[in-house]
Amino acid sequence: MRFSENGLYIERYIKCGNCGVLIYEKKGQQILTHEGVTYCSLWCIDWKIAREKRRRERGEGER
Amino acid sequence: MDPVTMNILESTMVSICREMGIVLMKTAYSTIFSEALDFTCGLADMSGDLMAVADYCPSQIGGMPLLVKCCLLEIPTSDINEGDVILHNDPYRGGLHTPEHTFFKPIFVDQELMGFSVAIGHIQEVGGMVPGGFCGEATEVFHEGIRVPPVKIKKRGEDNVEVWKLLLANVRTPRVNYGDLRALIAAVDLGESRTVQVIRKYGKTVFRETIRDLLDYSERRMRAELEAIPDGIYGFKDYIESDGVDADRTHTIEAEIHKFGDSIVIDYAGSSSQAKGPINATLGVATSAAYNAVLHMTDPSIPRNSGCFRPIRVLAPPGTIVNVDYPGPEVGGNTETHPRIVGTIMGAMADAIPNRTMAAEGGTHSNLVFGGVDAETGDFFICYDIAGVGWGGRAFADGNDAVDSINGNCRPTPIEVFETRFPWRVEYLAFDPDSAGAGKFRGGVGYTKQMICLNDEIICSQMTDRHVFAPWGLHGGKQGGLGATLILKATTQEWQNMRQAFGKKSTSRYSNVRITKGDRLRLVSPGGGGYGDPKDRRRELIVNDIKQGYVSLAGAEREYGYSEEQHEIL
Repeated sequence: MRFSENGLYIERYIKCGNCGVLIYEKKGQQILTHEGVTYCSLWCIDWKIAREKRRRERGEGER
Repeated sequence: MDPVTMNILESTMVSICREMGIVLMKTAYSTIFSEALDFTCGLADMSGDLMAVADYCPSQIGGMPLLVKCCLLEIPTSDINEGDVILHNDPYRGGLHTPEHTFFKPIFVDQELMGFSVAIGHIQEVGGMVPGGFCGEATEVFHEGIRVPPVKIKKRGEDNVEVWKLLLANVRTPRVNYGDLRALIAAVDLGESRTVQVIRKYGKTVFRETIRDLLDYSERRMRAELEAIPDGIYGFKDYIESDGVDADRTHTIEAEIHKFGDSIVIDYAGSSSQAKGPINATLGVATSAAYNAVLHMTDPSIPRNSGCFRPIRVLAPPGTIVNVDYPGPEVGGNTETHPRIVGTIMGAMADAIPNRTMAAEGGTHSNLVFGGVDAETGDFFICYDIAGVGWGGRAFADGNDAVDSINGNCRPTPIEVFETRFPWRVEYLAFDPDSAGAGKFRGGVGYTKQMICLNDEIICSQMTDRHVFAPWGLHGGKQGGLGATLILKATTQEWQNMRQAFGKKSTSRYSNVRITKGDRLRLVSPGGGGYGDPKDRRRELIVNDIKQGYVSLAGAEREYGYSEEQHEIL
């Protein structure tokens, strides 16, 4: 969540690309990027990679 | 850990939360609070974790921790003072949907912050495109009413008048809203004062340590429950028939449940991308629905607090129907998509824990909202009317008949109150025979409510579902009956749905249709799916269903192979 400099409104809603949790900048939350997508944790990056691998193996492709 | 003190404290806090709800019910102005009880009251610790909650509305119970935590990220505890009351309803900051207003008040003892008293309530009028908030054709959140970021509606015990004025200038029924907002504040006031008494009795240190132990205890109990479920990856899909805008697009809810050891991951990846219309769930709804499903499938005696949520991880990819991105519309996500998510999770787990899951329930609250100017009083009136649905059959019992959907736990407004408060006369209200899905244990029945408009004009909108996809059965059970909304205009002889009568895109989600004096509205709620093969149903249960009017003789013949000759012998 990126707030304006005056703190009165939100300029950008930031969510983890895997679990969808809100990520508040400047609040000490972990922010990671992988292939251009923002994530809240390494766990989420690993999960997303594993999910895509599982789906490829099942022949479902990435959704 | 002192289990005796922990048990007493836990029960005391739950009692406080129940009493908060009674205050809210008794002091509110609108029927959505005084009759339907569409609210939840809880107590949170300093970090926003739930310590105790009363058994009111499940969709709000599971959403409460995220809501309070999001607010505390914007208003740090260092800026919170004794006597403050914080208000919030923003669906993109942990909220559930625009009508759901969260109030919380700090609990200070000797100037030390000990936690928060919290009340969440569905404010029935929030401005926006339609009277009553449920705009079935909204395409952005701005159509759905006023959005309130975390703000202090009271500061150090004094009203923040500017906030009040802003809120009440943006709704159609400021007097009723004022009363309902005051009722929510009365609830958090009571929760605060009662909890202060409890903390003074036990002391701050004992209170803190016991709360820590209580949450750990709930976590252990939940982990033990999950441990007993066979490990595996379980999947299921269910569908939403329309979003009111892109009416012919079917939306998929997909859940993949990863149950390994004593924890569970609920992954919604694969669900449809965000809908154009207002059926999107927020992150709060997706989280709450996961908790709701797991709580329904595990031991109900586990104390409800954030401890029992710790073993549950929810993955709700952004920009999907289960985690709407700003400024997508969302008002129906909390009422219609939440129960569909719960059903999807139960469907996924149906083979792993057949004794703890049920067939699909009606999965809608009907959500008829209407408003207008009363011809007799000249006052603007608004109502949010909830209908019951049939629940799904279970491995050991029939589904519940005509009760609110799984995330609501609300009560339909009694006819006497409904007719007194609003210009309708209810002509018919009865269970629908054969609306329950057949099975070894049948689903619950739905019902039909028919009413005639007594006012010159009433503007109606609706956000419902199950007009196309019936509630599914489990393990050989049959699907439940469909719902419907029909109108008989005073000038015609033919019942029509909203597509036929008003050219709406969807029969189940529509906005601002004009009902005039003498028009009749008929609402049919869906029945629940059946559980198990109908031919395994005990004969005496079929006979009883016929006698009680749940199943017609023709229905019994068709679904159960029950013959008229057998019936005559009996």
